[in-house]
Amino acid sequence: MTTTIDATTAPEDAAAPLPAAPTPPAKKRKLKWPGFGIVFAVGFLGSLTFLAIFADYLSFIPYPDAKIPGPDGRPGRYEWGPGTAAWFGTDGVSGDVFSKVIYGARTSLQVGIFATVFGILVGGFLGVIAGYFRGWVDRIVMIITDCLLALPALLLAIILVDRLSDLAEDASWLGWLSRKWTIVITLGILATAPLARIVRAQTLSLREREFVLAARSLGAKPGRVMFREILPNLIPAILTVGFTGLSILIAAEGALAFLGLGVEVGTPTWGKLIDENRNKIDEAWWATIFPCLMLFLTVLSFNIIGDRLSRRFDIRQAGV
Amino acid sequence: MAGTGKAHLRDSPDVLLRIEDLVVEFPVGRTGLKVNAVSGISLDVLRGETLGLVGESGCGKSTTGRAIMQLPRPTSGSVVFEGSELTRLTGDEMREARTRMQMIFQDPISSLNPRRKVRQIVMEPLNIWKRGTDAERSQKVDSILEEVGIDPTRAAESQPHQFSGGQCQRISIARSLVLDPSLIICDEPVSALDVSVQAQVLNLLEDLKAEYGLTLIFIAHDLAVVKNISDRVAVMYLGKICEVAPSDVLYENPAHHYTSVLLNSIPVPDPEVAVTKTAIEGEPPSPVLPPPGCRFNPRCPAAQDICRTEEPQLRAVGDGHFVACHFPTVTPVELSTR
Repeated sequence: MTTTIDATTAPEDAAAPLPAAPTPPAKKRKLKWPGFGIVFAVGFLGSLTFLAIFADYLSFIPYPDAKIPGPDGRPGRYEWGPGTAAWFGTDGVSGDVFSKVIYGARTSLQVGIFATVFGILVGGFLGVIAGYFRGWVDRIVMIITDCLLALPALLLAIILVDRLSDLAEDASWLGWLSRKWTIVITLGILATAPLARIVRAQTLSLREREFVLAARSLGAKPGRVMFREILPNLIPAILTVGFTGLSILIAAEGALAFLGLGVEVGTPTWGKLIDENRNKIDEAWWATIFPCLMLFLTVLSFNIIGDRLSRRFDIRQAGV
Repeated sequence: MAGTGKAHLRDSPDVLLRIEDLVVEFPVGRTGLKVNAVSGISLDVLRGETLGLVGESGCGKSTTGRAIMQLPRPTSGSVVFEGSELTRLTGDEMREARTRMQMIFQDPISSLNPRRKVRQIVMEPLNIWKRGTDAERSQKVDSILEEVGIDPTRAAESQPHQFSGGQCQRISIARSLVLDPSLIICDEPVSALDVSVQAQVLNLLEDLKAEYGLTLIFIAHDLAVVKNISDRVAVMYLGKICEVAPSDVLYENPAHHYTSVLLNSIPVPDPEVAVTKTAIEGEPPSPVLPPPGCRFNPRCPAAQDICRTEEPQLRAVGDGHFVACHFPTVTPVELSTR
C-alpha cells in the first residue's frame, strides 16, 4: 500500500519537509538612551568616586600637601592658574587645587554616605515601628522628630558638633570619636527626622493592605510582618529620600566646614577649601570656584539620581 | 429584621465554629460615638459545611469574618473554634490558633506582597511555623501550587503583578491551604474577578473543599454566587442577622422582606422580561445611629409600629429556616422542634 502513495496522492505537507516553525522576529528592543542628566550624574559620581579611592596610586594626582613650585622655581601664593602645571591651579600654600578637590571628595563623600546610612538605619527603624504599632510608640517617635524638625538645622548642628567634641575629649572610651565621626553622627541625627516621617507615612498606608492582614492571619509575629512584609515595600521610598538627603548632607558638611566646624586640620574638604580661599577670589578665582563647582555637581548628581529613582519606582507602585 | 436570638444555633457535636452575641464596634474619632459594625450576631458552622454570609456593602459581613480571626478582636461575644474560646486566648495562643483557620481576601493583588516572589509567598506560612525540612516545604508548596493550577517554576521567578487577578486568587488559595487549616473564611473571594474566572475559582474552591475536608465561610454580596456554593446561608443587614436558611429554601421561599428584596435585585439575563419587581428604596441607615427596633424598619414595606420599638428575635419558620421578623412572609412554625 505504501507504494501507492506518491507525490500526487500524498498530502502535500507530508511529503515536503516540515517548514521550520516561523521564528518570531527577533524582538528589536530599541535601546532607549536614558537621558543626558542621568548619564552625566552616574558618570560624574562614578569617576569622582574612582579618583577619590585610588588617588594615592594615580601618578597625575599629586599628594595634597605637596608644594608645586611656581614659575620662578619656588613655592608661592596662588602662582599658577588652571593649566598644565596644576590643572585647577594652586592655592595659598602652593598646594594643587585639583589634588585637594579629589582628596576632599574622600571626606565629603564619606561623611555624606555614613551620615545617610545612620539616618536610614535609625530613622527607618523609628518610622516603621511608629507606623506599625501606632499608639504611644507613634506619639513618642513623632515628638522626637517634630522637635528635631522644629529646631533650626544649622544651629542644632553647630551645638551638636561642639558638644560631641567636648564629650570626646572628656570621656576616654570615646577615643574613636574623631572630628569626622562627630560630624557624621551630627548630620545623621539631622537626617533621621525626615526619613522617620516618610517611612512612618508609608508604613501607615502599607499596614492597612491586605497582604499585611494575610501575614498576620498566617500567624506572623509583628517583627516578621514589619521586616519581611512591610520593609521590602519601603525600600524605594527610602532609597529616593536617601539619595536626595545625601546631597543635602554633603552640602551641609561643606557648610559646617565653612563655619570652621570641619574635620581635622590637614584633611582637605570642599567646605574648608572654599573657606580658606574665598578672600582671594579676586586674584585667584580657581581656588574657590573649583571646590564650589565640585560640590555643586555632586549635589546635582545625587539629586538627579534620587529623582530618577522616585519616578521609576512610582510607576510600578501605582500599578499594584 | 435584624434581630438577635440563638434559636438557629444547633446542638451538634459536629459544630466546628460557634459565634455567640458577637459585637464589633469602632470608635468614631474622639466624638464618643461608635460604629456598630456587628451588633450581637450568633452563628454556627458544622464541620464540612459551607456557610454563606450575604448582605449589602457595609452590613458587617467582612467585619464578622475578621472578628472570627480576632483581627481585630471583637468588642464582646464569644467565638468557640474547635472547642477553644478564641476571645480569651493570649496573643501567642491566638497566633497558633490562626493556623487552623485561614482567610482569602477580596482583592487578590493587594493580598499578595508585591515585592516578593509568588513561591516565597506561598511558602511563607511554612517558614513562619518552621514546619518540615526545606525539601519537604518545597515539595508541599509545589504540589499545592499545581493543585490550584499555577506552574511552580513560573511561581518561583515571578512576582504577583505578573499574574492575572484570577491567578492571584488561586495563589491566595494555595497560601491559605499550606498550613492544612480546617476552616477557610473567604471574604468576597470572587467579587473582583470576571464572571468566567469567578466560576473557575468557585469550582476550584469546591474541589479543594471536598479534597481537604474543609469548612468554608463564604462572604459575598452576590447572591447568585452564594447560592451554588453554600449549604446554609445567613443574610445580614446593618450588623444583624435577618434570616438563616438552607440555601435552596432561602432562594425559593424567603421569609424576610429584606431577603425578598435582595433576591429580586438579582438581574434576569433576559432583555425580554419586563422589570416589574419593586426595588428597595433609600439607603441603609448609618451604623453609627442604627434605628431602634428592627433595623430594617425604615425601608421595610411591611413595617408597623411594633417594628419601630421592639427588636424581632430569630424564630423558626421551617426546617432549619429561621427569620428575625415580626411579620415574616412565611407563617412561623410555633414551638419549633429546634
